[in-house]
Amino acid sequence: MNVKLHAPISTAIAIGVGIIVLAGYFIPSVESIRFIFLRTGLVLAAVALLVGIINLISVHIRKLGGGDENSGYSLILLISLLVTLGVGITDMVQTYLFGQPNFRMTNWVFTNIQMPIETSLLAVTAVSLIYAAASILRKRMDINAVIFFFVVLLILLGSVAIPPATIPLLGGIRDWILRVPALGGARGLLLGIALGTITTGIRILMGTDRPYGG
Amino acid sequence: MSATGFTGIVVIVLFVGLIVFFSIIHKDRKHIPIRPIPAYQKIIEEINVAVEDGTQLHISLGRGGIIGPESAAGLAGLSLLKQVIEKSSICDHPPVASTGNPVLSILAQDTIRSTSKAISVAEQLRHPSGELIGVTPFSYAAGTLTIIRDEKVSANVHTGWFGNEIIWLTTAGERQSSPTIAGTAQLPAQAIIYASASDPLIGEELYAGGAYLGAGKVHEASISAQDVMRWIIIFLILGSALLNLFGINTFLEEILAGSM
Repeated sequence: MNVKLHAPISTAIAIGVGIIVLAGYFIPSVESIRFIFLRTGLVLAAVALLVGIINLISVHIRKLGGGDENSGYSLILLISLLVTLGVGITDMVQTYLFGQPNFRMTNWVFTNIQMPIETSLLAVTAVSLIYAAASILRKRMDINAVIFFFVVLLILLGSVAIPPATIPLLGGIRDWILRVPALGGARGLLLGIALGTITTGIRILMGTDRPYGG
Repeated sequence: MSATGFTGIVVIVLFVGLIVFFSIIHKDRKHIPIRPIPAYQKIIEEINVAVEDGTQLHISLGRGGIIGPESAAGLAGLSLLKQVIEKSSICDHPPVASTGNPVLSILAQDTIRSTSKAISVAEQLRHPSGELIGVTPFSYAAGTLTIIRDEKVSANVHTGWFGNEIIWLTTAGERQSSPTIAGTAQLPAQAIIYASASDPLIGEELYAGGAYLGAGKVHEASISAQDVMRWIIIFLILGSALLNLFGINTFLEEILAGSM
């Protein structure tokens, strides 16, 4: 079934719900309606996950059929997805029908496969971050990049915790940088992000931005 | 209604009033003057390159959903996606999108479908990109790498909610020698983007895509309104510092505490 809402109707619904949710933040009597909408949104988001997974499967099946050069990855993804789904369903049956310990196999998959992979990826991320900070002067040789590079260097040196290498002065500089310029800069960026967030929200409430195909 | 609630309503009404005001006073102008942002200039350049070379742009929208503080970043990314599709309608290969959130994935596909239909691009109507790549930070980053490494992709635009995993995407773009334009609302990730992306979007620049890519006068007016609000905040901060200097330091605190 293909349900197609025309643009004016979907826009009116989006604007109406948006205004009620916004009003709920400021007017206490509208708060309960805001919660109803937010709860509905959460349920829809959970359903969207199922839709997203079905979409993911269909995309990778299409890639497999089309002889894509990355079709090997698609095959691995589909097999992993089906195996994990099978493990989850088996665990659910065992837990709810036979009263066995909670999700033992699912926990095993997460502890022994998912977690080690994500942890090793995190370690690679740390190396990549250091590489990016070190190579910034190669990419952009301006005053901001130079300041960025030397601040990173000072913070790293000031954070050294091995006793022979610790220098009290560098520790003091590090603390000052973190307490004064870094905190001030972070607050400035947060204010900018807050202003941008409000502007985006207002544009959607005015119907100028319609990220729902309306 | 509390004083905080009242202040919130005043801010929203002031914002809307300023947007309407700037739209009206500049109604005879083609464009409202706004400061240039190099990253958006680069996007326009890359769209032109894609048209000439028969390549395509990759737009990754991050992992943010639409319920929570990350929603605005995701919605700003969708707005940018719409503008890029419209601008690259004569490309042989329309832009490809990727997301790490199911709701955003549905919205991205809807945006691609509706925009492509409006400009009569048939390929995106059949199989719109914007699929859900992965729901955890690293699965999303690892899945997106295959798109970045695609030879057809000439530039990467990462706008949305990203964490530290953004370093994978920006360095992959660098290794492919393709320009990377990136922006996010998360502060640590912004520092990473500044260090690793060729064209970073800092702070509120992330939300200004529509104004710089020709989404219309209201978008440009909203940027002017944002600038006015920024000056008001600067004066409030300086004013409160002066009040503090003179020992009258409880005025703003009482407003924020709701006991005006």
